[in-house]
Amino acid sequence: MNAKKTMTLNLTDQEMRVLEDLAQKKELTKTGVMKLALRVLQTLDARIEPGKKLLIEDEATSEKSELVIL
Amino acid sequence: MTESKVYLRDGKSGNLIEASLFDEVTPDHLVLWDRDWVPAMQAFCAGKPPGQKPEDSHWDWRRKSKEVTGILGYHSFALVCPKELQGLMMTNDVTSARLPAQFGKPLIYVEFVATAPWNRPKVQDAPRYRGVGQVFVLAAIETSRNAGFKGRVGLHSLPDAESFYEQKCGFTRLGPDSSHQNLTYFEMTETQADAFRQNH
Repeated sequence: MNAKKTMTLNLTDQEMRVLEDLAQKKELTKTGVMKLALRVLQTLDARIEPGKKLLIEDEATSEKSELVIL
Repeated sequence: MTESKVYLRDGKSGNLIEASLFDEVTPDHLVLWDRDWVPAMQAFCAGKPPGQKPEDSHWDWRRKSKEVTGILGYHSFALVCPKELQGLMMTNDVTSARLPAQFGKPLIYVEFVATAPWNRPKVQDAPRYRGVGQVFVLAAIETSRNAGFKGRVGLHSLPDAESFYEQKCGFTRLGPDSSHQNLTYFEMTETQADAFRQNH
């Protein structure tokens, strides 16, 4: 088991509301949501390189829109 | 890296055989893949037209492993028995469910899973070991539960494996997916995962 480190996260009321909503929607703890967000961001960051785009496709219309990730 | 004790069945006698499931594919496992798996697959495929080769015969596990090294959302598994590689699996935990009952909730998505060539009835008349697929499905379920995903698992199946996932494992078939080479997508709910765990 990897050793774990603790950090304090200060959130605004709005950020906390979003975190709580996501935790409820995803059936995760708030910590679980933050860890998932970290994994998703790292995965996207590793995959997206110059010349590649992240697209969201509407299956019904086949319409595609680009999702811009920092 | 964690090593867990699991069981396979001897392909001839049907006896239970102890095996080791590792929750990380290491360079040592890839050496075994190079040494035994690749030559066996090449020998079986030699002279066969593409349609008669195993659907995963072109998978390069060394490259797949390298691509996800250090990526937190990806996990790899190796099954060893007794000192031979019997199967490999790669999963990610950054994918969300598609079934309406659990839409948008995170699950463990099985990116790739394969059993060694000598464990396949199509390759070897009496497979050396049986049960590799079940061990990996159970590993995906346990990974899902440990991540707080309640056993939810999803995957795209190669055509030859569809009946295994639907009939033996209890996945729900969601149909062909045009974004994944028209492979059929399957998903397992918490209830289905619990049922699979009770039977294995």
